[in-house]
Amino acid sequence: MRLRFLVLLVLLASLALAPAPLFAATSVVRGPYLQIATPTSLVVRWRTDIAEASLVRYGLAKNQLTLTTKAEGIVTEHIVQLSGLEPATRYFYRVGSGLEKAPAANAEDAPGLGPVSSFITPPPVGPAKATRVWLLGDPGTKNATQAAVRDVYYKFTGARPTDLWMLLGDNAYPEGTDADYQKAVFEVYPDTLRSSPLWPALGNHDGRSANSITQSGVYYDIFTLPTRAQAGGIASGTEAYYSFDYANIHFICLDSHDTERTADGAMMQWLKADLAATPRDWIIAYFHHPTYTKGTHDSDKDSDSGGRMNDMRAIFLPVLEAGGVDVILTGHSHVYERSPLLDGHYGKSVTFDATAHVKQKGNGRAEGDGVYLKPRTRAAHTGEVSVVTGSAGHAGSMTKPPALNHPAMIVAFNEPGSTVLDIDGLRLDLTFLNDQGEKRDWFTIVKK
Amino acid sequence: MRFVFRLLALGLALAVPRLAAHPETAEARAELDRLIAEFPRESELYLRRAALRLAHAEWSEAEADLRRAETLTPDSPRVATQLGQLDLGRGQLTAASRHFDAALARAPGDAEALILRARTRALLGDIPGAHADYSAALRQLEAPSPDLFLARAALPIAPALALRGLDEGIAQLGPAGPLLERALALELRLGRTDAALARLDVLTASSGRQELWLKRRGDILAAAGRSTAAREAYVAALVAVAALPPWLRDSPETAHLATELARLAATSS
Repeated sequence: MRLRFLVLLVLLASLALAPAPLFAATSVVRGPYLQIATPTSLVVRWRTDIAEASLVRYGLAKNQLTLTTKAEGIVTEHIVQLSGLEPATRYFYRVGSGLEKAPAANAEDAPGLGPVSSFITPPPVGPAKATRVWLLGDPGTKNATQAAVRDVYYKFTGARPTDLWMLLGDNAYPEGTDADYQKAVFEVYPDTLRSSPLWPALGNHDGRSANSITQSGVYYDIFTLPTRAQAGGIASGTEAYYSFDYANIHFICLDSHDTERTADGAMMQWLKADLAATPRDWIIAYFHHPTYTKGTHDSDKDSDSGGRMNDMRAIFLPVLEAGGVDVILTGHSHVYERSPLLDGHYGKSVTFDATAHVKQKGNGRAEGDGVYLKPRTRAAHTGEVSVVTGSAGHAGSMTKPPALNHPAMIVAFNEPGSTVLDIDGLRLDLTFLNDQGEKRDWFTIVKK
Repeated sequence: MRFVFRLLALGLALAVPRLAAHPETAEARAELDRLIAEFPRESELYLRRAALRLAHAEWSEAEADLRRAETLTPDSPRVATQLGQLDLGRGQLTAASRHFDAALARAPGDAEALILRARTRALLGDIPGAHADYSAALRQLEAPSPDLFLARAALPIAPALALRGLDEGIAQLGPAGPLLERALALELRLGRTDAALARLDVLTASSGRQELWLKRRGDILAAAGRSTAAREAYVAALVAVAALPPWLRDSPETAHLATELARLAATSS
């Protein structure tokens, strides 16, 4: 009996005293990925297969990971907020509890999890800075088209960093489950996830596994989004809709799927206050359901998508236009459609009147009909360009070809692709790249 | 009337959270039909198809699926919840409430069932019951939507009680704009000007532009008969306008605001 006890004691002692690497079987199975980036803070998230401490080593050089931030608890879902960062600065980082005791100079080789990655913190809010945003609508098909669209963008942007990127909803088909997200997001965009902050919107397929009212489900578990205006704007109190600032740009994300869309609902109250509060040069709004489309969805049909497109057009669009929004980005319809500079069209397509609703006609190209011009002065109803870019995972429909004939749209393609938004000072350029690497649409807005 | 409308909207959002009418719906239905043919004893599949049918107000078809799911999993709280949603959709409130009771008996504390029953009870006129259910649901949720706090505060209850509920939300979620706005309105209804102004100060502090909030401060003070303080607020708003960069200051809306502020400052001494 005593012998067995001694053997057990020796075994336990050897377990307790064994060097960590013997037990460093932990692997990162998701991420790392970056959330709520501000000029001085950022959230790093990742998932491990075995519960362990959440630790990030970071610094200004790859071999000088001199700073450490650790979150409490032994977990598999790791959420670590880095604070006290310098704006517009590249930081290198690694994750993993094994890094805790490694010297800074050796942290690159220490038994952490995954390679050293890096991110660039956002610049100070207010002043302009050349900004690149990658926009993916309805990407999460997990198929070769999604990969092709991704690779075209990677080739397009090359060494130019993606400052931030957005998923416009239906991020993971078919059900928006954790497994769907793993295959459709985390295994498709690992490099972008670890280097560029992601700002997602909720789509109807994500909504099959998430609930905005109870703020629960996969989408809300996976993403850490601002509820208290951590990154600018007015606090919404919910991750379903939020806003944030990046340089001289104010971004507004709405929940067109699962949050009350009435004129006196909380989202509308918040939107009005948020629009009135922002002093940024540009206002970009994004959400899943388009205000105008004749793609794989029809914004004229009340029954389509439970009337959500109607709601966004009739209830929210007037407020966005009154608030001076410059571009509206949506998905849902698995096509690319783009308007000229519009204002004041809130009805069905038969009520569209180009003479009344087009602020500036033409394709918005310097070498074509001329760029769109807006007054620098923030004023209501100075026009916005509406972009449906919902083909980052697939285009068209299996049942019938899209009509692509909405009169508010001057460009429409039934092609897979993603969209790139570049803003530099008072100039905004938007480009649609198809899955063949062709630049299929582009336009410019200049504020004077 | 607005209260009922908001309840309906909130209930609808909860009743069909995972559903949408879109072209993929036909594909989703076909896939569920195929799966049900392959696995006819899988209750979950009937529940998913029922959810699709509920979203399209196909009550009879949804009921058939739910009855089948009920046969397969008679003790499932989800079956009871969806049966309640079906009755809610049909306007059969008492029956809906009974189903939610059953769901909650099987899964006490289920937030979704609690919220749906709260809405049903409110429509039935059982305001204390609705308030209790909303409160119980909010206790269950780590990060509830502000809409839930607003729905509870919108019940026909005493303003002070509604205010306490909103403060719970602000404590839990932070200074969310919609909650502060509703609290501000309630403070004014209670005649508590300074408390309303304190709410306004929180909104003002979080805003990149101050002038509209300061004008509102002036309006509240003016309505309370505190004209000197109102004038100070209007002047402060004018100072805020002057501090804006020219491209914001010179917009037609801001110029109009400045004119209005100057008039108010001149007349409220």
